[in-house]
Amino acid sequence: MSFTQIIINSIVRASELALLSLGLTIVYDILGFANFAHTEFAVVGVYLALFLNVSLGLGIVPAAIIASVLTGIIAIFIDRGVFKKMRSSGGIIVMVTSLGVAIALRNTVRAIWGASARNYSVALEKPIITPYFRITPLQIWIIVIGLAAMFLFHLLLHYTKLGKAMRAVSDDPELAQASGIATESIITYVWFIAIGFASVGGILIGMETYILPYMGFAIIVPVFCATIMGGIGNPYGAMLGALVLGFAENFGLYINFGQVLGIEKIFHISKGLFIPTGYKPAISFVILILVLLVRPRGILGKKKAG
Amino acid sequence: MGIINFLVYLAIMMAIYGILSLSLNLQYGFTGLANFGQVGFFCLGAYTSTTIVLVFKLPFILGLLGGMLASTLFGYIIAIPTADLKEDYWAIVTLAAAEIIRIFFLNESWVVGGGPYVGGAFGVGGIPQPLRSLFSAYTYPFFYLGIALLCLLVAYLVINSVTRSPFGRVIKSIREGDNLAQAMGKDIRKFRIKVMALGGAFGGLAGCLWAHYHGFISPEQFLPLETFLVWAMVIVGGKGNNKGAILGAVIIMAFYNSTRFLKDYIPIEEVTLASLRMVVIGVLIVAAMLFMKEGLIKEKKTIY
Repeated sequence: MSFTQIIINSIVRASELALLSLGLTIVYDILGFANFAHTEFAVVGVYLALFLNVSLGLGIVPAAIIASVLTGIIAIFIDRGVFKKMRSSGGIIVMVTSLGVAIALRNTVRAIWGASARNYSVALEKPIITPYFRITPLQIWIIVIGLAAMFLFHLLLHYTKLGKAMRAVSDDPELAQASGIATESIITYVWFIAIGFASVGGILIGMETYILPYMGFAIIVPVFCATIMGGIGNPYGAMLGALVLGFAENFGLYINFGQVLGIEKIFHISKGLFIPTGYKPAISFVILILVLLVRPRGILGKKKAG
Repeated sequence: MGIINFLVYLAIMMAIYGILSLSLNLQYGFTGLANFGQVGFFCLGAYTSTTIVLVFKLPFILGLLGGMLASTLFGYIIAIPTADLKEDYWAIVTLAAAEIIRIFFLNESWVVGGGPYVGGAFGVGGIPQPLRSLFSAYTYPFFYLGIALLCLLVAYLVINSVTRSPFGRVIKSIREGDNLAQAMGKDIRKFRIKVMALGGAFGGLAGCLWAHYHGFISPEQFLPLETFLVWAMVIVGGKGNNKGAILGAVIIMAFYNSTRFLKDYIPIEEVTLASLRMVVIGVLIVAAMLFMKEGLIKEKKTIY
């Protein structure tokens, strides 16, 4: 695979991860817990889009939009029914509860749609082939949507009342409430935005590969890793973390560690020392451990008050 | 399958998961360490013991000890980089670590000294059962149940005495927040590492028992689903109470295994049934966290 091709693949992966990490990090920031159901919500969106697209025959774009909106609303309902009753509980209690929500969501999806791999009904488009790389129109869309989502989120955070209120709640929830910010309604918006973005990310992954009830679990480690790397609660950090991870996952398999470490001559490794493809999921885990060892607050981590 | 056979099978599963549940209870219920990768210990214990007994042709008891040792070391190693961190990081690191263990056994296979093929996606079969030749096919499960119950008893006695000791008081204070334990001059890091090592030992023991009972293991059996079952056991049974952890294992295992027969009575597909079963497990965890925070058997509040 050519060097430029790996870069393209990395950017596509980073865009998908960014859409998911962004939501995880703002929920953590505003609600104060690590939401283990985050990627499972994305899977709910993926399957709702499948239903709209395949069973009802809608185009993929309206299907994706309606599914993501619906998933955001489902998240608000689950927050009202479950998480709202635990606002005063510690982060660990809510985190364990979110694990229960995750199991219930994933298996509801599996009970309704079955365990086998599915696909959206989308016409296959010819990839654009250049001497240096090939890219499908879908991959271009993934990058565009990822960038647009980040830009929209930046605008939201800095140029809207809601964004200012979100930042205020993030800095100091009590002060924000005392200043007359309706924390609960901010939380409702946060869930909607976070899970809506996650759903879009999930649908894009589903379009690029295939759809499985298990896909939420398959991406939970990279998504958490990107979030932690960027500093939990920092949306820009999450984007940066997604970028680093996208590159690490794709370049990791093509680096000859024998050459990099200079041990090729010593051990007479003629074929080079590469990470076997089966271990690709392990890359994000190793990075996670390294980040936690070196910079537990993440690259752009901020100091929380108290 | 006769009803007696099924009940013995169920009791063995309850004993094995009881050990897993006790181990998680020590980590989460007493120390507040949210281990979302309990299945990693289970898997490592099963594979280590299998390798020792099947490949190196050593006796069952050495396999058992080897499996426990491997999981202890794993718990220890996993705890080192994470011991200083907040508990939320703990959850994702352990979850990922358990997946790495599974990916390792999915990708690797080995043959030692001309022994049988061990590992890979196909799993390992023909794992010898201890003292199998002394019993008939009908009486053997009863004997194995004895072994499993003995192990459960040992796990209970050890973990119970640990949680009642001064060590147990320190880990409970760590659970309630680092400040008190720190003010008492305790090295929180060391306590967390020790808890993970001890929890690993018993998680590994459960894995050994599982492997030698079924005679076949594969990476498919060690999916995160197992971790979630054990979590439901601890939360429903009562965190911070060892009897509660065992009760939780009994209830969840009884529910999990008896619903299998539902498909004989109502027309439902295997996948759908398995999924609905896990939906109930998930909802149980959420409901217990909402309405029954202490679980069925509450933690004893002791005034020192």
